[in-house]
Amino acid sequence: MMILVSSTPFDPGKHINEFAKKCTSAGGIASFLGQVRSENNTVSTLTLQSYPGVTEQGIQGAEENARLRWELEDIFILHRIGTMQAGDPIVLVLTAAKHRRDAFEACDFLMDYLKTEAIFWKKQTGQNGTQWIEPRTEDYQDNKRWSL
Amino acid sequence: MLKILYFGRLSDLAGRQEEYLDLPKDINTISVLKPYLSTLHDLGDALDDPSIKTMINQSLVFGDASIIDAREIGFLPPVGGG
Repeated sequence: MMILVSSTPFDPGKHINEFAKKCTSAGGIASFLGQVRSENNTVSTLTLQSYPGVTEQGIQGAEENARLRWELEDIFILHRIGTMQAGDPIVLVLTAAKHRRDAFEACDFLMDYLKTEAIFWKKQTGQNGTQWIEPRTEDYQDNKRWSL
Repeated sequence: MLKILYFGRLSDLAGRQEEYLDLPKDINTISVLKPYLSTLHDLGDALDDPSIKTMINQSLVFGDASIIDAREIGFLPPVGGG
């Protein structure tokens, strides 16, 4: 299991390859790569802040919940902080499992946590100026799918 | 020295994400720290917004609390997700 919150740009392919090499007992690996969207083809920047220690602890809680729900071989979560441009990778979630359904669902679950509850503050600068962003209603609805 | 952390819009208002302060002895609770910091950084009533959460030593506190044993205090607006 690895949880990284980093201000350094990352190469998703490198992490997927390294993770896959480690997970020899997994039958499949699901991955989700989030990247900065351009809005109406205008250049925008996204700046993310975390609370070092607290943010990682929250993600670890979600990771432990995922392990209780699904049979997983390993999990890798890498989240960027700092200022990013359109097209830059923001988040990479990798879940390895014996069977694909566990890998897909755990990856989806972890992304819903990261989009709504994870301890990040997000500032977008674009053609409409600069604003701090809160999760969309759809993000909260997505996250509720996992309520027992 | 006490570490103070400001996140999200509070970091813009305070002009910093963190600072280390030697506080006067009478600044010993959250309720007296907030107006002290508000004056120091011209934050207006931003820290009194009910949506702002407070963490002492990385644990959430609710209402007023002593900061005598605090090493770190964070002021957290609603999170935006990743």
